[in-house]
Amino acid sequence: MNENANQVHGLWKDWRLHVLVLLTVIITEAIGTFRIPLGPGVILLLPMLYALIIGLLLYFTPLVKEKQSKTAEPIIVLGVALLLAKIGVIIGPSLPDVIAAGPALLLQELGNLGTIFLALPVAIWLGMRREAIGMTHSIGREPNVGLIMDKYGISSPEGRGVMAMYIFGTVFGAVFLGLLSGLLATITPLSPLSFAMASGVGSGSMMAAASGSLIAAFPEMETQIIAFAGASNLLSLSTGLWVSIFIGLPLTEKLYTIMTRKRGEQ
Amino acid sequence: MLKNIQEWILLLGVFGIIAIIGNWIGYDILPVSALPGMIVLVLICLSGFILRDLIPINFPSIAYISIIGVLVSMPWMPGSEKVVEWTSQVELLALATPILAYAGIAIGRSWTDFTKLGWKTIIVATFVMVGTFIGSALIAEVILRVQGII
Repeated sequence: MNENANQVHGLWKDWRLHVLVLLTVIITEAIGTFRIPLGPGVILLLPMLYALIIGLLLYFTPLVKEKQSKTAEPIIVLGVALLLAKIGVIIGPSLPDVIAAGPALLLQELGNLGTIFLALPVAIWLGMRREAIGMTHSIGREPNVGLIMDKYGISSPEGRGVMAMYIFGTVFGAVFLGLLSGLLATITPLSPLSFAMASGVGSGSMMAAASGSLIAAFPEMETQIIAFAGASNLLSLSTGLWVSIFIGLPLTEKLYTIMTRKRGEQ
Repeated sequence: MLKNIQEWILLLGVFGIIAIIGNWIGYDILPVSALPGMIVLVLICLSGFILRDLIPINFPSIAYISIIGVLVSMPWMPGSEKVVEWTSQVELLALATPILAYAGIAIGRSWTDFTKLGWKTIIVATFVMVGTFIGSALIAEVILRVQGII
């Protein structure tokens, strides 16, 4: 989601788009939330997940033209702005709680490096070459794409890797984290608050989906969940790039060298 | 600038109306009760956009918006009870549903790129998401326990 809220001229006039979205919202909110028990856990199907899928399906009908799809993009930024305003006014009253949880919020940013230890070995095992570095050094949102393009160039293997991750995250990120967070928070002994902080690792819509499932599963902790997820997302926005530059990317390079050397010897 | 503000208001207004209707259907909150909260949220966004344009440093508008939201709802801020009371009538999930509806329509264009990703890419990407998410949750869990918050 780029900072393109500046170029909003006339977008409000795209009635075809807004009416389609309104109808989608009416249908999905009327369907409501479904809870599918899965062993000790729960998979939560939220209206926003159906909305994403209906939106995607609509794109392939004659109802949506290329223009609507292009117009929708800057509107996401505005919607996320409203969402962040809402998160702001939830953080405000719980500010003492958020400050108390400051160390956890700051340090969990380093947890983003978990991808390197989990995904890089898998990528190398599957036979990926330097694409793996672009793909697994971070969750691959805009700042990370920028970093890789800047360092390796747009047509490099690393560049292809980070773009693949970006596309996957854009299309599937929200659905995936939405399902994962509800399930993990109900089957693992970890606190929903830890998962709330983890919900902030990616884009605004990923956070909305991941924390939305947590709220649906633990409604009594709603305020704290939103406050922690929002604060974590804000920190990811501001510090995520630095973690990638100084730790994530060098660490991925190092591990890649070690692991591919080892493979070469065998 | 004024032209921009007008466009922002109209677009936020359209989005706000859709969200208020979703808020009504999904969470049984009457539009008339949600309206003051939505207006407050729209005003917070507007001030964020305006500040971003006025202040000549490269700081994203969404960061201004979050910070303004926190400031106007802090317990020490006069009038914050009203802000909190009004905005509590706008459900977070009711704001998220239209965002993802617009997002679905927008990502349709990425779908062809997506189908070109191989199965290996999709497996690795899944591990990237899981690894990042669980990594963050684990560290948060450890620190929150050490601090005695949970």
